[in-house]
Amino acid sequence: MPRRADRTRQPGPAEALPAAGPRPSLDDPRVMLDRQAGALFEEIPPYPARTEREAEFYTPTEGELFLNIGPHHPATHGVMRLVVKLSGERVVDVDPVLGYLHRGVEKICENSDYYHVIDQVDPLEYVSSLFQEWAAVLAFEKLMEVEVPQRAEYIRVLSAELLRVQSHTLYMGFLALDLGGLTPILYSFIERDEIVEMLAALTGARMLFNYFRVGGVNGDLNHEFMSRLGDWMSRAGKQAEANAALLNENEIFVRRMRGVGVLDRATALGYGVTGGNLRASGVPFDLRRVHPYSVYPQLDFNVPTRQEGDSLARYLIRVDEIRESIRIIDQCLHQMPDGPIMAPRLPRLLRPKPGRAWGAVEGPRGMLGVYAVSDGTDQPFRFRIHDPSFLNLEVVPHLLPGNLLADTMAIVASLDPVMGGIDK
Amino acid sequence: MRARAATLVRSSWIQLLDRLSITERLVLLLIPPAIGGAVVTILAAALVGPAFVDFLAANLPLVRFFVAVVAILLLTVPTAFVIIYMELKVIARMNLRVGPNRIGPWGSGMSVVHGLKVLIKEDFAPTGADLPVYTLAPVVTFLASAMTLLVIPFAPGLFGQDLNIGLLFFFAMGGLTVLGLLMAGWASFNKYSLLGGLRSAAQMVSYEIPLTLSAVGIILLTGTMSLNQTVLAQSGSALDWFVFKQPLAFLIFFIAATAEANRTPFDMTEADSEIVAGFATEYSGMRFGFFFFAEYVNVFIVSALTVTLFFGGWTAPFDWPWPVSLDPIDAWAAGPAWIALGLGAAILGADVLAVVIRLFGGRAWSIPAAFGLGFLVSGAALTALLLGACFIAFDWFAGIVWFMAKAYAFVFVFVWLRATLPRVRIDQLMGFAWKWLLPAALLNLFITAAAVILLDR
Repeated sequence: MPRRADRTRQPGPAEALPAAGPRPSLDDPRVMLDRQAGALFEEIPPYPARTEREAEFYTPTEGELFLNIGPHHPATHGVMRLVVKLSGERVVDVDPVLGYLHRGVEKICENSDYYHVIDQVDPLEYVSSLFQEWAAVLAFEKLMEVEVPQRAEYIRVLSAELLRVQSHTLYMGFLALDLGGLTPILYSFIERDEIVEMLAALTGARMLFNYFRVGGVNGDLNHEFMSRLGDWMSRAGKQAEANAALLNENEIFVRRMRGVGVLDRATALGYGVTGGNLRASGVPFDLRRVHPYSVYPQLDFNVPTRQEGDSLARYLIRVDEIRESIRIIDQCLHQMPDGPIMAPRLPRLLRPKPGRAWGAVEGPRGMLGVYAVSDGTDQPFRFRIHDPSFLNLEVVPHLLPGNLLADTMAIVASLDPVMGGIDK
Repeated sequence: MRARAATLVRSSWIQLLDRLSITERLVLLLIPPAIGGAVVTILAAALVGPAFVDFLAANLPLVRFFVAVVAILLLTVPTAFVIIYMELKVIARMNLRVGPNRIGPWGSGMSVVHGLKVLIKEDFAPTGADLPVYTLAPVVTFLASAMTLLVIPFAPGLFGQDLNIGLLFFFAMGGLTVLGLLMAGWASFNKYSLLGGLRSAAQMVSYEIPLTLSAVGIILLTGTMSLNQTVLAQSGSALDWFVFKQPLAFLIFFIAATAEANRTPFDMTEADSEIVAGFATEYSGMRFGFFFFAEYVNVFIVSALTVTLFFGGWTAPFDWPWPVSLDPIDAWAAGPAWIALGLGAAILGADVLAVVIRLFGGRAWSIPAAFGLGFLVSGAALTALLLGACFIAFDWFAGIVWFMAKAYAFVFVFVWLRATLPRVRIDQLMGFAWKWLLPAALLNLFITAAAVILLDR
């Protein structure tokens, strides 16, 4: 019986330990002596710098301190690492390190058929996943040359704008959380939960919807969704104002946001920043207006723009956009036509003609595009996702130097990055 | 056979033990040492008792000091528990959450469980930490903040020590807290801790000045630094409180005290979204628990001092309509007010207890039975309380009630601030202290001094 044998087993002769290496000499420059603790530390030898920028960054001058913010830090919105060079409390330079969440989604999409791609792009930017689906579906519809029924377009706009409200509400909460406010995030999550439950009644899922299809949407509006939506719409505007008032009228919040991380118009355009961050710098670029898609030309809404370009402007743009989105939802409900929700006569396995297509939508964080190349098979030959968060995050090394350590959080949070989309 | 019988006897003992619950086994275990201890104590008292009592009587101030220190250290534990529970529950309500509701009635055991959790966690020290300093830091922080309670008067005649430099002692001890935080930040061998420690040093040293200066106005008014005398100077009605004579000083004091206690919006030292947990980043187990304790005790202390300086301490906000000192024999002569009060309190207590009994007793209790039992219990408790209060001294009882009510009102304000406000930035914080609070405190001091001189003349 092996068990009994185990129990009676005697310890064998001790195995020879590996011979201890030579103790590092105290004269070795890599060895640092901590006299108080009496402990020896061997510094990890640095690897050779790969670029000039890296060599310059990692050579600290007198009185400078490197601080790793992340990858696990309460305020980095996922797994991002900011190597911050500090002089006192002031940030001298910053080196963002990305890629902790890289999953190779684009490559996976190239090995999936066209229906599965919609499933794969969902978890990229997990806060507002319908927009990725929409961009992918737009590109595939151009490849397939499908006409989408009007009702399906309205349903798409309706659900996507709901999700935009949800994303911006969460943004407000997380921004306040990064500035030390405890309460707004919970109020945001109340709003988010209502919207997400509503969409769950429509699509069957709370976060990763898999709802849009090439040529339409997966299901028609149902009773539970409509009743929840009506309930929410009856107080959505008032609730949004109340949530915003908690922050807008708070002197501490406004003083920490105003004039911090000013992104001027030229820099924003140069870095390719889009979305609310660009509109806060005074460029009225909104894909729903400048390159209209779906039924947006038939809807009446404003593109809120601000000139300051600081964190407060970026925040206020989001607040204004919540109002506009609620207006759009209201119009969608009034203009919603009857009819089918899927284009007729679509094959079970999509095989578009060889060609290339670019589909882009205005996501909550900016222009979200999908570039797809078809070679005539049932899988895209090339599939590329243009994520706005990635470009928005690129301005961080430009914005941070000169600000205080505490402003790092205000600036990064005000740019609204979602690491799932950035690392892909 | 004999051996078998022996095992049977033993096993029956074990079976008997098995029937007992763990608590009962503990009680069973504790009986012999308790009896032994009692015998030893009685013997010792009989043998050396008189000499010992004489010795204590000869050194009464020393005895009083030690008793006060022990009592204050013991007082910090329930204080911290109550404030932690308040913070959990009040912030939860303000966030539209339920908050703790599992342990004890309405989750009130939550903070105790928090304390136990901290107690059984691993006590971890990072490699490279300066161990003696690292270990001492929480002790310094906790003791420094707890010892400030020594001079706070809780009721007439109920205080640790009546120092004639009470206020000075308070600020001196409170100033030592920063030493502990700085030690923790330095010894943890962590950059976040270092930043937190340095922030705390800068912040607390800056806010110490307006805090002290705002209290100097009151010293000018009362002419003493003894906190007991300060309270007595405010006795009478609510209009005699110093908050009406020194409104500006109260504002400055409250803001500076918030910073001094490291509370939101000035919790720079442990700003979780910037420097993880500040000076406490590397601490775990009970060492972290001591920081935690010190923080909550600090909240109470700061509230207590605010109440003592500006809100009349243990004095009632109005003149008592009934005699303050009460003889049990004179109870009937004291007038019908007492009887009405007693009856009303008994009925209210009966209502509350009936609800509690219905909640926890379930359907076994009918509503009239629950009310009857509630009335009996609450009446008995109230009678005992009243008689006890008359016996001890009604002044103490009323004083503690008023003092705690006022102090916890301020604790509630601190919790409320934490639920509402975001954190200020370090440069705004320092700028506020030096550019606004300090000139305002000086202005207040000059005005008070001028008023004292002019009115005295």
